[in-house]
Amino acid sequence: MTSATLTAAQPRAARKVRRAGGPNTGTRILQSTWLVFVVLAAWWVFSARSTNFFIPSLEQILTVLVRDLGNGVIMAGALYSLANLFVGLLVAAALGIGFGLLLGEVGWLCRIVDPIIHFFRSVPQAALVPMIIGVFGLGQGPKMGTIAFACLWPILLNTIDGVLGVEPTIRKFSKVYRIPRGLHFRKVVLPAALPQIVAGVRVALPIGITVMVVSEMFASTEGLGFYILNSSATFQVPETWAGALLVGVVGYIISMLFILAERRMLRWYYASGSQ
Amino acid sequence: MTAPVQADSQLAQSTLLMKVRGMTMSYGSGTAENKILENLDLDVNTGEFISIVGPSGVGKTTLLRCLSGLLHPKAGTIEVGGAIIDGPHPDLAVVFQDYSRSLMPWMTTRENVAFPLQGKGMNKADRIRVAEENLAAVGLAGQGGKYPWEMSGGMQQRVAIARALAYNAKVLLMDEPFASVDAQTRFDLEDLVIKLKQEFGVTILLVTHDIDEALYLADKVVVIAEKPATVVDVIVTGFGEERDQVDTKADPRFGEARARILHRLRKN
Amino acid sequence: MKETTTSPRLLLAQRVAAILILLGIWWLVIASGAVPSMLPGVSQILAAIGKAFVSAAFWGALGKTLLAALSGWAIAAVVGVVAGLVIGSINFLDRSTSILVDFGRSFPVLALMPVVIMLLGSNARMEIVVVALSCLWPVLVQTVYGARRQEAAVSDTVAVFRIPPLLRFRRVLLPSALPFIATGVRISASVALLIAVGVEVISQAPGIGRQITLMQQEQRWDMAFAYLFFTGMVGWAMAAVLQRFENRLLIWKRQEND
Repeated sequence: MTSATLTAAQPRAARKVRRAGGPNTGTRILQSTWLVFVVLAAWWVFSARSTNFFIPSLEQILTVLVRDLGNGVIMAGALYSLANLFVGLLVAAALGIGFGLLLGEVGWLCRIVDPIIHFFRSVPQAALVPMIIGVFGLGQGPKMGTIAFACLWPILLNTIDGVLGVEPTIRKFSKVYRIPRGLHFRKVVLPAALPQIVAGVRVALPIGITVMVVSEMFASTEGLGFYILNSSATFQVPETWAGALLVGVVGYIISMLFILAERRMLRWYYASGSQ
Repeated sequence: MTAPVQADSQLAQSTLLMKVRGMTMSYGSGTAENKILENLDLDVNTGEFISIVGPSGVGKTTLLRCLSGLLHPKAGTIEVGGAIIDGPHPDLAVVFQDYSRSLMPWMTTRENVAFPLQGKGMNKADRIRVAEENLAAVGLAGQGGKYPWEMSGGMQQRVAIARALAYNAKVLLMDEPFASVDAQTRFDLEDLVIKLKQEFGVTILLVTHDIDEALYLADKVVVIAEKPATVVDVIVTGFGEERDQVDTKADPRFGEARARILHRLRKN
Repeated sequence: MKETTTSPRLLLAQRVAAILILLGIWWLVIASGAVPSMLPGVSQILAAIGKAFVSAAFWGALGKTLLAALSGWAIAAVVGVVAGLVIGSINFLDRSTSILVDFGRSFPVLALMPVVIMLLGSNARMEIVVVALSCLWPVLVQTVYGARRQEAAVSDTVAVFRIPPLLRFRRVLLPSALPFIATGVRISASVALLIAVGVEVISQAPGIGRQITLMQQEQRWDMAFAYLFFTGMVGWAMAAVLQRFENRLLIWKRQEND
């Protein structure tokens, strides 16, 4: 197919099927939240009737959650966990983006190390946790390291993809106008690859959270993972549920905040319809 | 405005196939109401080729979507063969401008053409045969095994035309069907449509912003303009059955009609 | 982008060289004594891999892990595709479920492990449930996305030619969402293996993950590394095979994008 005819037809593609009289904001909020309330209500009602020792009522779970949030037991753990996550992610992002830009630009090197990268990405991160802790000890450092290792590969692969996907025309422009190498990297390649890079970090985020929790389930005395494991080991069932629920909520909030930040940072990308 | 359509005695002899009365369409409501079409009348006779021409943004696509039943007009009626239609109808087939998108890339061209027939419940052998016949009619004999993306833009649009023909509808609606192909291909496709009309006697309603194309193809050109859009002029071309890209366009009547339409559109 | 054509044989040689360099660095790091002495050297790991290769216990454990991973993955794929197509093609459902889907996909399912173990015990069934719960989201999210982004021209065509709902589902919705479904299914396949091993590490359910922790507790670091290496290889091979399969299945998609 000739690309000329493709581009000619493009503007029409933007036209979505129009619906007469779109819903206003109120109905839209109601539409997107009613099911959440139904699920919560169903959980509340059915768990209240539960006679299974391992299924506490939602009321109980929320009560202990509020209690332990209030007395600081969870807060300290959450701060410890999030610090690990943050540092690990930061290290992974720095290494992943740096090497990704390099490998994306240097095509032959990228092709050579490609199988190695894919191999490391396939190593089960959770199995790595006891190994790294076994070798390097129980401190915060090894935990951060494991998180960084797990998060590195998606960021690296996405960055490489992003660099390889830079419009050839933009590259040619850069060459024709003899943009210096450093400036070309900073002002052309990096911004053009940024949407992909950010997507890589977004993919890495839940992986990081998972490794964060798992790393605290091994011989740790702090953190959200420890709170969950410790509660279950001492048969404090509502606390176990509360911890798991909290991790889920925290994960959700972090993801949503990230997506918000992404929308802001990449406004040009979404506005120009480049995706 | 009332229809100045039945002006010509020659056309009045043929039977009325499609009748549009008082069609009005708008988006939004109250103060935010955006009227696109107002009180639009249209008559289409059997075997007739009508071009609807209007400037960009006048609401041609909205008009065609209303006619094809994809949109519900706020007021007015559409009759085909005496029956009022509401929504997509087996008597109407559409050729879209987005040929590359309206053909399914996961189906061969033969499957694409046969697909609406499958929807009608036709058995496999029959629909394959009908698809091949119609592909041959648009000059794509033996190309049924190819995928749309293996073809040029012009060939893809031929497939879309074959699909509409195979559907065996009474009226063929075409929405700027040649807007995204190059000039030479466009001439070829225009001549193909004229040939198909002569061979099969299909009734065609074509929407375009191109005045030359509208005049060259049609028996009757309906000019729409203003906001909201209404019919502002109707021109019977009278070039007869045979058309030629050079001679027809050199005909003095062609120039006159062209000037008349341009003049009419400039006024707005 | 410059496309310098390297012959496949040269590329292979270069890749092998790169791996050898990596192993050399590993050997140097160990030899320098800068890292804790538990870390096994290259030769020890290679010997351990050889040993694992002929060990019935290893293959048995790997088989258990793969079985659990594949079962969970298959369940997630079927549920995810059907639910995704339904949700994605019905606007109201799409809007109603978006918060729950976002919550589910960002939920670290392994954090639920203690709860799941309490409910189901430390066994293969529990492992399959956790794997399925983890794999569901990539499939679901991708399928919803694929079903949602139906081309306007395609839906117009379907409406104009009055294609009946079931035919539409089978011949239009499914194929047009297929590229996205395939991606989701492929992503979740690697998730399946990672999660299965993770579950075994945490819960001590039988499988390769348990073997890794057992070896490590016995101070057999060489074996632990060998197992880890093997699992990585299996995951890598699975991903490569699925990628091939996907490319072949979706030949029309790739052509169209050229």
